[in-house]
Amino acid sequence: MAYGVVNADKMTTSDGVSSSGLYGFKNRILNGQMVIDQRNAGASVTPANGASIYTLDRWSFYVSQASKLTTQQSSTAPTGFVNSLLVTSSSAYSVLTGDDFELRQFIEGYNTADLGFGTAGASTVTLSFWVRSSLTGTFGGAIRNSANDRSYVFSYTISSANTWEQKTVTIAGDTSGTWLTTNGRGMAVIFSLGAGSTFLKAAGSWGAGEYAGVTGQTNLVGTNGATFYITGVQLEKGSTATSFDYRPYGTELALCQRYYMKFYPGAYGPLGIGVATSTTAVSTIIQLPVTFRTKPTGITLAGEAFNATSGSPTGITYDQATVNAIMPYVNGTGFTSGNVVSIRGGGAGTTTLSIDGGEL
Amino acid sequence: MNYKLYKRTGQSTPDAVVLTRDDGSMTSFMFDPQNSDYIAFLKWIEEGNVPTPAEEQ
Repeated sequence: MAYGVVNADKMTTSDGVSSSGLYGFKNRILNGQMVIDQRNAGASVTPANGASIYTLDRWSFYVSQASKLTTQQSSTAPTGFVNSLLVTSSSAYSVLTGDDFELRQFIEGYNTADLGFGTAGASTVTLSFWVRSSLTGTFGGAIRNSANDRSYVFSYTISSANTWEQKTVTIAGDTSGTWLTTNGRGMAVIFSLGAGSTFLKAAGSWGAGEYAGVTGQTNLVGTNGATFYITGVQLEKGSTATSFDYRPYGTELALCQRYYMKFYPGAYGPLGIGVATSTTAVSTIIQLPVTFRTKPTGITLAGEAFNATSGSPTGITYDQATVNAIMPYVNGTGFTSGNVVSIRGGGAGTTTLSIDGGEL
Repeated sequence: MNYKLYKRTGQSTPDAVVLTRDDGSMTSFMFDPQNSDYIAFLKWIEEGNVPTPAEEQ
C-alpha cells in the first residue's frame, strides 16, 4: 500500500464529517447533550424572575415574569441521545413589550477566544441542535456578547409537532464590539421562549443592542401546556455542522464542575478534614476536584447534617476559598479545640454540599 | 427562613451571610454582587426585612 500526502485546506468525508473542526475542543457548548444535572437530578424547576437561574448544568434561564414555565431534564431524546432539556409552558401568557424568556448558555471567554469575534478575522461559527415542540412555526434565538450590545438573531422552523428535527444555523463572526476572551462571558447562545418587541429583530445580521429572538416568532409561553425539548446543542468553528462532539461522561462532568459543584458524600463518606478552633467550630478544608472558573462565593448544605469523627456538626458557614479549595467552618457542638476532625456525610446518606459562585 | 450576618476570618465587619431555611438546609455566602444568593438577600432587605446581627467575636 502506498502512502502519500494530501494537500487540502479542508477535507470532508462522504458522511459530512469535516476535518476543519474535527480535532480538539470542537463543541464550545458544555453539556450540549443535557446529561449533567447536578443541581436538580431531573427534578422540575420553576425559574424565578429577574436573575439567571441555572437548571441543567451550564444552562440558565432568564425570565421576566415568574411562573410562566417549568423546566427539567427529560429522557425524551432523538436517536443517538439519551437526554434533553424540557421546557413546559405554565399558562397562555401574552408577552408584553419588555418581556423576555430565555434559555441560554454563557460560554467562557477562554473557550471562544480563538474565534476572534470583535476583530477583522472573526471566524464563522455553526450552531446545530435537535429540537421538538408541541407547537409548529418560526422560532428564534440569538448570539450575544457580554455587554449585551452586540446581537445576532437567528430563526428556525419547526415543521411537525412533537417530532425531533435537527436545525443548523451558520453565522459569520462579528467583526465589531467587545467580546471577552478570558474567564468572563465570552458569548451567550440563546433560545427564545418568548419575547416582546424590545428584544426582537429581523434574523440574519449582526446589530447593536440586546436581542433574543426574531420578529414574528412563536412564543412558547403563549400556549398553556406547550412543550419544547432541546438537545445535541453544538457551537463549532466553521461553516459546516459536523457530527455531535460526544465527550466522555467524566470529561463532560468535570467541564461543568468548573462552574458549579455538588458533593454527594453518601453515608459517612468523606468530604473534608479540619481542625477544631473551638468547641463549636471546625475550620475545614474541602478540595475541589476541578479548578473553579473564579473563587467560589457560596456554599449550601442540604439533606441531613454532616457526621464527624468527634463532636456533633449542625451547620456550615462560608469562610475562605480559592479556585481549588474551600475552607468553611463546620459549626456544631462538642468539638475539642485543637483536635483534627474528619467531616463526612450523615448516616442516612442524604447530605449534599453545593459550591456556588463559578457560573457566568 | 432566617438570614444571619457574620464576619469571616480577618474581617472587622460582617461580610457574609448564613441563610437557614425552614427545611433545615443552609446556604452561606459572601457579600458578592455576582452571587445569586446575595442578590436575593439584597432583595429581601429591600422588602423591609432585617437580618440577625453578627455575633461579637
